[in-house]
Amino acid sequence: MYAIIVFGPLLGAAIAGLLQRYIGDRAAMWITTLLVCLSAGLSLYAFYDVAFVGNELTIEIARWFDIGAFQTSWSMRIDTLSAVMLVVVTFVSSLVHIYSFGYMSHDPHRARFFSYLSLFTFAMLMLVTANDFMQLFFGWEGVGLASYLLIGFWYKKPTANSAAIKAFVTNRVGDFGFALGIMAIFLIFGTIQFDGVFAQVAAMQGQATEFLGMRFYALEIIAFLLFIGAMGKSAQFFLHVWLPDAMEGPTPVSALIHAATMVTAGVFLVVRCSPIFEAAPVASAIVAVIGAITAFFAATIGMAQNDIKRVVAYSTCSQLGYMFFAAGLGLYGAAMFHLFTHAFFKALLFLGSGSVIHALHDEQDMRKMGGMWKVIPWTYAVMLIGTLALTGVGIPGTKLGFAGFFSKDAIIEGAFAVAADTGSQVATLAFWAGVVAALLTSFYSWRLIFMTFHGKHRGPQEHFEKAHESPPVMMGPLLILAVGAVFAGALFYSPFVGDAKDGFWRESVTFASAATHGEEAEHGEELHAEAGHSDEASETAENVTGQLTGDEADTEAAEAHAEGGEGAAHAASEEHGEEHGGHHVPTWVLWTPFVVTLLGFLGAVFFYLMRPGIPRRIGESGGPLHSFLYNKWFFDELYNATFVRGARGLGDLFWKVGDVRIVDGLGPNGVARAVRSGASRLSRLQTGYLYHYALVMLIAVVAIAGALIVLKG
Amino acid sequence: MILQAIAFWILAGVAVSAAFMVVAARNPVRSVMWLILTFFTTAGLFVLIGAEFLAMLLVVVYVGAVAVLFLFVVMMLDVDFVELKQGFLQYMPVGALIALIMLAEMAFVGASWAASRGEAAAQPPAIPVSASNIEAIGAVLYTEYVYFFQAAGMVLLVAMIGAIVLTLRHREGVKRQDIGKQVGRKRDEAVELVDIEQGEGIG
Amino acid sequence: MTESFAVNFAIAAPEVFLAVATMGLLVAGVIMGDKSARLITWLALATLAGYAALALAGLANGAGAAFSGALVADRFAVFAKVVIAIGAGLTLLLSDSFMQKEKLSRFEFPVLGLLAVLGMGMMVSAGDIIAVYMGIELQSLALYVMAAFNRDSLRSSEAGLKYFVLGALSSGLLLYGLSLIFGATGATDFDSIAAALAQEESLMFTIGLVFAISGLAFKVSAAPFHMWTPDVYEGAPTPVTAFLAAAPKFAAMALFARVLVGPFGEFIGDWQQVIVALAGISIGVGVFGALAQSNIKRLMAYSSIANMGYALMGLAAGTQNGVNGLLIYMTIYLLSVIGVFACILAMRRKDGMVEQIDDLAGLSQTNPGIAVALSMLMLSVAGLPPFAGFIAKLYVFMAALDAGLVLLAVFAALGTVVGAFYYLRIVKLIWFDEPAQGFVRPGRTVAYTAFGSAALAFPILVVFIFPLISQAGAAASALFS
Repeated sequence: MYAIIVFGPLLGAAIAGLLQRYIGDRAAMWITTLLVCLSAGLSLYAFYDVAFVGNELTIEIARWFDIGAFQTSWSMRIDTLSAVMLVVVTFVSSLVHIYSFGYMSHDPHRARFFSYLSLFTFAMLMLVTANDFMQLFFGWEGVGLASYLLIGFWYKKPTANSAAIKAFVTNRVGDFGFALGIMAIFLIFGTIQFDGVFAQVAAMQGQATEFLGMRFYALEIIAFLLFIGAMGKSAQFFLHVWLPDAMEGPTPVSALIHAATMVTAGVFLVVRCSPIFEAAPVASAIVAVIGAITAFFAATIGMAQNDIKRVVAYSTCSQLGYMFFAAGLGLYGAAMFHLFTHAFFKALLFLGSGSVIHALHDEQDMRKMGGMWKVIPWTYAVMLIGTLALTGVGIPGTKLGFAGFFSKDAIIEGAFAVAADTGSQVATLAFWAGVVAALLTSFYSWRLIFMTFHGKHRGPQEHFEKAHESPPVMMGPLLILAVGAVFAGALFYSPFVGDAKDGFWRESVTFASAATHGEEAEHGEELHAEAGHSDEASETAENVTGQLTGDEADTEAAEAHAEGGEGAAHAASEEHGEEHGGHHVPTWVLWTPFVVTLLGFLGAVFFYLMRPGIPRRIGESGGPLHSFLYNKWFFDELYNATFVRGARGLGDLFWKVGDVRIVDGLGPNGVARAVRSGASRLSRLQTGYLYHYALVMLIAVVAIAGALIVLKG
Repeated sequence: MILQAIAFWILAGVAVSAAFMVVAARNPVRSVMWLILTFFTTAGLFVLIGAEFLAMLLVVVYVGAVAVLFLFVVMMLDVDFVELKQGFLQYMPVGALIALIMLAEMAFVGASWAASRGEAAAQPPAIPVSASNIEAIGAVLYTEYVYFFQAAGMVLLVAMIGAIVLTLRHREGVKRQDIGKQVGRKRDEAVELVDIEQGEGIG
Repeated sequence: MTESFAVNFAIAAPEVFLAVATMGLLVAGVIMGDKSARLITWLALATLAGYAALALAGLANGAGAAFSGALVADRFAVFAKVVIAIGAGLTLLLSDSFMQKEKLSRFEFPVLGLLAVLGMGMMVSAGDIIAVYMGIELQSLALYVMAAFNRDSLRSSEAGLKYFVLGALSSGLLLYGLSLIFGATGATDFDSIAAALAQEESLMFTIGLVFAISGLAFKVSAAPFHMWTPDVYEGAPTPVTAFLAAAPKFAAMALFARVLVGPFGEFIGDWQQVIVALAGISIGVGVFGALAQSNIKRLMAYSSIANMGYALMGLAAGTQNGVNGLLIYMTIYLLSVIGVFACILAMRRKDGMVEQIDDLAGLSQTNPGIAVALSMLMLSVAGLPPFAGFIAKLYVFMAALDAGLVLLAVFAALGTVVGAFYYLRIVKLIWFDEPAQGFVRPGRTVAYTAFGSAALAFPILVVFIFPLISQAGAAASALFS
């Protein structure tokens, strides 16, 4: 069964890619789609079987490398973690396949597209079912390749090509770190099997190793290197530049790869390696900080973008930041939960945007949209659901809410609980970054909705008039995803992070002490019963208070007893007055995300529905903040000036001086010249005269004998 | 002993000088003659060490057969030896140099062997005194050395096949003796009786 | 004479069978005339099969030595004999149609081939310096005749004559060396020589060994005793060249290993430097010499010189791993080279054979089957992974590195880089150049041999590689027991 899940898409890709000429486009599309759907169906069963019944297993398919101590095999590790990923990947993938029937219906290279999609699915499945780092790396590179192919699918479009190259090159940076990490693992542990490595983690704690001439703790350096890989693939801060550009690819690709699956591979990696990260506090802190920065930073950029897909892309980036800081804080369950729900609503948003773009004849600029809700009501409806899910709308304290409500709030509250329990500055930072990012998320998400669907249409009128709802084959997947976006959170809250989580994750994820606090805090929220007195907690609470600089209290927070800070573009906060138990999140924390979300919504309503002139004027006047955000913090320019131009200059230097003159001159060309002349001289020795040959032989004998006599005599 | 030593030095000296002359002689027929002298003196050396059978063999086979064959070939082939010699002169210095170095090396090896030749040094097995040469060889040739004997036979077989393969040609239009035909001939095939008119002959 | 004649006979059964059968075939050929050439060829193949089978059957009795140790039948000898029989058999098979077409078909050819194999068998199981010499002479003499087999062709005759004269010189060197060894130790069988040396080493032995190595190096065409190789390869009829390039090389290499590593393994100091020098020079001469060639047979000659260098590298290690690597290398080389020559034999246009490398241009379009086979073989011989040639090189390199011959290994690695150039040039010619005039369809045996050999070059056939490695390992260990 698992073989069918994993290799079905490969078969489909091979058939569609290689036999397309013989079977035609339609057959290729049907075959790939059916195979992926079959895979998805089986995955659902597998998920049930593994996560709830508990049939974990490892299947060995074939030996791969067997070189001395370095052994690795093709195998499948099926535990809850991979089962969750299997469901997400195959489910979203099959929906995207179906959606593409409509979206790509006019493309002449449909079969190739479907082949790539299936190939990607296969690589992703290899990645998530890997049982050792080598296979993980194989899948990792496989999805990178598929991503490159799909971003550059419209290869005649120069921007698509350069975006594909940018994605590939940026990922190389990360992959380099990842590869180094794998090597370091082999060096330290002597194996790259997950089980073998994780079993030794405890023994390796405190072991030092040498890297770049300095001594580090081995586990820290391994975790850090692995995280660099994760940063590249998941578009985290510093290596995020490729993700927005990747939107040059077809929209289904963006939904599948750059929202739901591939970009979450980094999160998956961190969670999969949770035993290592648990033993590496510094690296975990780095993960959390980078995640927090990304969550905040990407959200700020998202506010100022005009391309509908780019907004969603930065939103993805930001949500990945959430997942990472959750994982960095040890909240692996929450991270995976958010990954799971995020897959639904972000795919929904992407596909919905695709539907809008499709309706408007490939118009992506939101400034030329508006008022679309009348012409494409269904799309509007699902986009609305997606936005509600993304912004995490729900009623705190109850179990009513959209998917994002459960997962995002679980992360934010978990972060607070960790901060409260351990006094960790990192957790505090992460908490506040999460809150601010939630505010911004709400703002830009509603901005997208308002700019696209409300107001007057600003684009060419004939497009507006000709706009039509997408065909059922595209709407079907959207509706299914919408259902997921509404209910996925509520349904799976309990197993992922709630009461049932121990029985759910079992061995697949390690929760260390620090994490348990956070998780138990969730319990506290559920049970709302125990109250214990913890000095530690109260101290932390005071710390938090000390850091606050707010001035206005938000009274909607029912149990807030003290002042919190809140500003238009800043964070809102509450102070924790009553001393609840240490394993308990104060109520104001529960309400904070809700409040900031509402604020963001109101802000968007104000700027884009009531006074749409203000942002336009800001955009036109080009104030420094706006241009800073609009130009994505000038990261591209910075990289261009330093790395790209630097590398190019260095390349020129190496090429013109180093390569052409020195290396080629003395190396290949010079050597080739020498070789050529040597060869002709040698063949001139071959005169054909018998006595020359005899003479050479005799000289050789005499010389060898003489040499030996001298040496030994 | 002194007589033997004198004989050895004379024979050895003649053998080496004759060998040199084989190479140096201008006329190839003379070269072969010098070669024969070399064989003879070498046979003498064999006699000196008590290997009279080998000595006889050398004379019979090499002088009697090989050298004579050489002479035939040299005389029958019309080779311009003067032309060949020119190449020889051209390479003479290099060849001489190599030969000299080789000589020096061998002398060195021989000297070191002679110097280290103590009691422990290996000696070639002595020739059995009780039996004659022929008896001694006969005792081992078909028993202990049968393998080498047979192998040598195979080598000769190859040589024979090779000679035939490379030289035997069945030319058309060449009259050959056919014994069967010769013997099976009838009288009337061979003899024809004719009446000859006087003074006319067979027209 | 302690062993009974029957025991000796049982141990020598493969050789006896081969000799008797060969003479039987000779008589049959004489009676039936040249029309029987094809029949004799097939019977010769059957004889080789019987020879290999008898050799394998002898394994059941364990290792043994006949004729006072002059003929050793151990795993090493059996392995070598089987490979030699395969190599010789395949090349004889290849020769048949060529000889028919060139009107050279004569029954003596397979008979001479069998006699050469007999000589090789004596070489690889030699336990005595006389046996060494006899085996080499028997083999060489047959090969000289084969090289000159096309007696109406000036080039063939010249090739045969050159080979013969230089071969005689090398035999002289070998014999001189063996005499010195005998003089130094007073014995002819390896064990007694080793025992005598254990008591006292002497310079005379060392120099004798140098001469003997020189003589053997001529047979494997290791530089600087290689000068005959290009001329003879080019001049001899192509099937003969294939024959020369395959089995005799293997036999001479195996003899090298048997002589040097076996009894004189302890005196590695006496010969290691010589072998290292030979290996290095061979690689250098081989790869550089090949660059300037335009005739594919000459190219293969230089290629074989370089390949002998790599094989000698395994020998230079002087360890069991080294011998193991040598055997693996030589076996894979033998199979590849037969395939290459099968492809060369397929280079026939309507007006006769062609031998220029440029004639291969665009072969992929005119004859894709042969093109694929030849390309794979070239990649394999160049030592590119994942082809079998890579595995072969891997083993000798590892052995050399283990033995601390780092400089040699580095030099050899550089050699492979240069060597890759001309192998890849052929691949490029085949696939990317404008097609030259096409070849006529090759015969079935030629095509099948080429395909089969190319298939073996491909490592997917682990069924072939792994047994080979384990068998070679067992054979190598026989020399060290």
